Amino acid sequence: MLAAVAFYAFSAVLIASAAMVVVARNPVHSVLFLILAFFNAAGLMLIAGGEFLAMILVIVYVGAVAVLFLFVVMMLDVDFARMREGFQRYAPVGALVGGVLLVELLFVLGSWRFAPEAPGLRLSPNPGATVGNTEALARILYTDNVLLFQAAGVILLVAMIGAIVLTLRERPGTRRQVIAAQVARAPAETVVLRQVPIGAGLKNIGILRPPPAAEEREALSEPERHGHGGGHH
Amino acid sequence: MYVGAVFFPLLGACISGFLGRWIGPIAARWSTVVCMALAAACGVPAFFDVAFGHNPATVPIAAWIATGGLEVSWALRYDTLSAVMVGMVTFVSFLIHLYSVGYMAHDPTQPRFFAYLSLFTFMMLMLVTADNLVQLFFGWEGVGLASYLLIGYWYERESANAAAIKAFVVNRVGDLFFMLGVALTFWTFGSLEFTAIFGAVDQHLGDRFLGVPALELIAVLLFLGACGKSAQIGLHTWLPDAMEGPTPVSALIHAATMVTAGVFLVARMSPLFEYAPTALAIVTVVGAATAFFAATVGCVQNDIKRVIAYSTCSQLGYMFFAAGVGAYQAAIFHLFTHAFFKALLFLGAGSVIHAMSDEQDIRKMGGIWTRVPVTYAVMWVGSLALAGIPIFAGYYSKDAILEAAFASHSATGMLAFLLGLVAAFLTAFYSWRLLILVFHGAPRADEHVMAHVHESPLVMLVPLLLLAAGAVLTGYLFAPFFIGHAWEEFWAGSIHNAPHNHILHDMHEVPAWVPLAPTVAGFTGIALAYVLYMFAPGVPERLAATFRGFYLFLLNKWYFDELYDAIFVRPALAIARIAFRVGDQRIIDGVPNGAAALAVDAARGAVRIQTGRVASYAFTMIIGLVLFVSLLYLGTTR
Amino acid sequence: MMNWTLALPEAALACAGLAILGAGVLPRRHDMFFPISMAVIGALVLAGVLVLGQGDGAALAGQYVSDAFARFSKVLVLIGAALALTLALDFNQTDRDLARFEYPVLILFAAIGMMLMVSANDLMTLYLGLELQSLAAYVLAAFNRDSERSAEAGLKYFVLGALASGLLLYGMSLVYGFVGTTSFDRLAEALTAEHAASLGLVTALVFVLAGLAFKISAVPFHMWAPDVYEGAPTPVTAFFASAPKLAAVALLTRVLTQPFGELSAQWGQVLWLVSAGSMILGAFAAIGQRNIKRLMAYSSIGNVGYALIGLVAAASADPAVRSEGVRALLFYMAIYLLMTIGAFAVLAAMRRRGRPVEEIEDLAGLARSDIGMAVWMLVFMFAMAGVPPLAGFWSKLFVFRAAIEGGYVWLAVIGVLTSVVAAYYYVRIVRVMFFDAPGAAGALDARPASLTVVMAATGLFTALFSVAPGPLLAAAQAAVAAIAG
Repeated sequence: MLAAVAFYAFSAVLIASAAMVVVARNPVHSVLFLILAFFNAAGLMLIAGGEFLAMILVIVYVGAVAVLFLFVVMMLDVDFARMREGFQRYAPVGALVGGVLLVELLFVLGSWRFAPEAPGLRLSPNPGATVGNTEALARILYTDNVLLFQAAGVILLVAMIGAIVLTLRERPGTRRQVIAAQVARAPAETVVLRQVPIGAGLKNIGILRPPPAAEEREALSEPERHGHGGGHH
Repeated sequence: MYVGAVFFPLLGACISGFLGRWIGPIAARWSTVVCMALAAACGVPAFFDVAFGHNPATVPIAAWIATGGLEVSWALRYDTLSAVMVGMVTFVSFLIHLYSVGYMAHDPTQPRFFAYLSLFTFMMLMLVTADNLVQLFFGWEGVGLASYLLIGYWYERESANAAAIKAFVVNRVGDLFFMLGVALTFWTFGSLEFTAIFGAVDQHLGDRFLGVPALELIAVLLFLGACGKSAQIGLHTWLPDAMEGPTPVSALIHAATMVTAGVFLVARMSPLFEYAPTALAIVTVVGAATAFFAATVGCVQNDIKRVIAYSTCSQLGYMFFAAGVGAYQAAIFHLFTHAFFKALLFLGAGSVIHAMSDEQDIRKMGGIWTRVPVTYAVMWVGSLALAGIPIFAGYYSKDAILEAAFASHSATGMLAFLLGLVAAFLTAFYSWRLLILVFHGAPRADEHVMAHVHESPLVMLVPLLLLAAGAVLTGYLFAPFFIGHAWEEFWAGSIHNAPHNHILHDMHEVPAWVPLAPTVAGFTGIALAYVLYMFAPGVPERLAATFRGFYLFLLNKWYFDELYDAIFVRPALAIARIAFRVGDQRIIDGVPNGAAALAVDAARGAVRIQTGRVASYAFTMIIGLVLFVSLLYLGTTR
Repeated sequence: MMNWTLALPEAALACAGLAILGAGVLPRRHDMFFPISMAVIGALVLAGVLVLGQGDGAALAGQYVSDAFARFSKVLVLIGAALALTLALDFNQTDRDLARFEYPVLILFAAIGMMLMVSANDLMTLYLGLELQSLAAYVLAAFNRDSERSAEAGLKYFVLGALASGLLLYGMSLVYGFVGTTSFDRLAEALTAEHAASLGLVTALVFVLAGLAFKISAVPFHMWAPDVYEGAPTPVTAFFASAPKLAAVALLTRVLTQPFGELSAQWGQVLWLVSAGSMILGAFAAIGQRNIKRLMAYSSIGNVGYALIGLVAAASADPAVRSEGVRALLFYMAIYLLMTIGAFAVLAAMRRRGRPVEEIEDLAGLARSDIGMAVWMLVFMFAMAGVPPLAGFWSKLFVFRAAIEGGYVWLAVIGVLTSVVAAYYYVRIVRVMFFDAPGAAGALDARPASLTVVMAATGLFTALFSVAPGPLLAAAQAAVAAIAG
């Protein structure tokens, strides 16, 4: 009884927030609704007995993906007016094609029939009940589908290489922190102790400066070591 | 011997083509000439051995393609038909190589020329000795390629390029039909070997393809292919333009050998054509029409080589209608004699052009016969042979063809006979028009040119004289074997005549006036030419002025080129332009229609990531998908 | 059950890829492109040797299969990848952005993806292999990141590729929904006559077809190809036009003939239209092109159309015609692969004072400045035009023959007619090279040795194929026996 109430509550909020993701005018609101939807989906997973998936959903999707989305949406200046313009231009033909496709997919739905064993397979998070949900998932992932798992890993590696290749640039003149150089600095290299005569002003002794030109040149010619202690002198 | 005749030219081509740069032009050209001499030394004895020694042979070279269902091997087939061609091709080609040594002496890229010429000879020999349709097709395309290269040999000339492309494209149209014919042959017979095909004709007499008798369809397709190569009416337009190539090329390829490949093909496939009466009727009509059409056009052309080119076209028409009425032997006989006298005429014309400092317009010649006596004499011999004057070679073969057409007793045969007779008259007329305008009358060239008129060097005259001997003698010597009483023994079954085909017998029993008619027509033509051009030189101009429309009609070659331009070339260009517009203009010339924001982007020179376009691409994909799904739904519910 | 040693070539290549990636990253130097390229070529050759020694059988829970068909395709894929990388050796070194060691590494991972594609025995393996290859390809297209055209090509390819992948996945999920399995073997068992023609499955099939047709750039899913081919750096275009296309065609062949063999009546019709459309578009749209890479894009669309004729014939009811069709298809793709790479080698050599040039007019007078390159290009162009006795003639002949034997006469007629049209623009290039006067911009730069090697290798194959066509035909025959026997 309680489970049923929880199910309908989670489901209702899930559907409502999913609708809001699409409808909301402000993209930040959309992402926030998305996070809400993830939480409710996780709740549904828990009710169904898939505790592992529920946790993954919260940790990965809410904790990482959705927050990343949020950053991206906030950083990008998405121009909705222009997007709508494109939408209106293609709306008639889009509607026509979409309509035909919808009708065809309804035909597909019409020819749908459930296998006799399907109801029995619903909601069985622990197949055979000999192992737990997590272990069952692990077997599928790491044993049955090891090829697919590895291939997916390679795909992610390629995606990473691609992201680095296309975006990482070594611009000349940028200053980056080189921790080793910072740590290795001795006080003698950076601090000069001078005796200042009493009563002498800057006019008398002048300003002691490090040789900045040489420092800069070194930084430019050796990108690996440039800028050590930047801003400290 | 058999192998040598075919492969020596290839050797020569390789030496000249690949090593020409190192061994120099003189060594390159003589190496090809020597190789051709060796080939002729193999080919001519091979002809006598096979044809008179009754010693046909098939020389296997290598298995070529062997894969499920299609087995093709390289082999040289030497029966009488092949041997006749091999002997003729190697001999004529040798003479033309020799002649070229003189004619091309001042050309800067001789190794290239001789390599092409030898390559062509090899391909032609491959064609005539083919043992199966694939090998024949290989040679067929090979001679087309060599012809393309040689027509465009002087590639600095825009007209030579255009002519080369035209020849290539028109030949491709013919080849398309030829390929379909080969495909259908394979479909019907399950083999491409001649022996297998000819042996199985009996079993496939009743086969039908798309409701049409298969044999008829094959024959028609192959004939259309032959039309392209042999410049028959409709696909003839490339041949006159091909005269852009050097004159020896015109002599070898566009007179003596390659253009006769179509005739050879019909003769080679005679076992099939014999059972395709409709196809034969088409061959007859097309051949006769070409003979007549080309002869009329030849009467008004002013370029010396084009006159001879149209004459070639016309003579090829004779050969085809001879084959069409079943007298394949007569067709091959005419092919054989024609090779000699037409090569002679072309080389003579080359000699004239050489003498006139590269002038080709006969209106700017005249009065040079005393200055170039040998050329003048051989041109007479060639013209006499072409016009079919008794004892010259053309007399025997052309008479035989017209007799055969008369003896066939069919409507198409009679049509061919009449058109052939008129064409014979026209042939004599334009030949003598050419002779008189070129050699007689008052000189019409400027003094500078006239001062340089000179006889050609010996290396050019020797081939001329040898060919002249051929033009006189081949008819008389070989007539008894090719078409006379000994023909059955001579051909030894290499050309098939169906049991119902008695044409070679009947053609000797025609009424007495029939053999006389062509001779009379020839003499009348010569006489008319003398009257009009020698004795009353003003008359032709007045005639041209009086019948201006008719004259222009002939001068413009019956407007074939203009017709093709309107029917094929312009629409093709239009389609290309439309495809270009639809497919590309938006990308090259501008931004997507209506995407104002993007236009601003482009103007700013910003990163042109044209989202508008990506969307339209995506739409295309989705529309394609929906179309396919709908198509299958309609198919399923129906 | 696992039998993972069967997948040794892929495993070895992946390990080599990781090692090479490390070797490229760790030295922290900028001149790693050449040594890493050499290492990748070595790894590809090693994988090729391992492929030749591979046995028959299914492995890894039936998701991976090794048979003669897969091996035939893999060897060609590896050859294509290695040659495409060789093309880049010199080209990339002229540009600091292109000469980064990630380039060969991405080609290596794309090769793994392609090998998985042709060995896929499960819809999921198919998808992952395809994505691995595609993802590497997207990055490669945009590799010259400072060039707007390259970046645009990469983005366009990525967006449209994502759409195609979406269609593919949707189709696959429908298949799973209707049949309850993604394994090819069990799909083939389940799709017997009673299941076969249900509307749902037919729809799913069309979605899968659409996704795969995008990868081989067949009409109407071809729109990306001209833009991407033009925008991507020339060696990348060469790669796109060769190995991935072959892998995708092989994959399509396996999917259609094995699990969906019972639906051949349906996919046969769709492919008929796709093939005819590709041939027609490829022939006509190329005529007006001025950019030679764009022209090659349309040419490759047309070529896919011809290859698909073989697959249409494989939809026939007659088993002899089926195997004939598949054989013609494999044969066609093998020859196409080498011809294309050769032609692109010439394109990659088109540089003037170090800068790549891409207009057809830039080839004017090539015969006078570099006769060797002009002759190789002539060989490739004539071969693509189907002039005998060059290799391209045989490949066309075989597909047309398969079509005629399967009764698809009209398709063969369209093919012959469009190849006549296509001959026009191939011959036009030859004309420009041999007969046009050189332009004012001067002659092209001397070609580097690596490109000469590629041109000579592929050119000799193309020109002399007729001398000994036996081995390739025999290999194709063996490959066919494995899937359409």
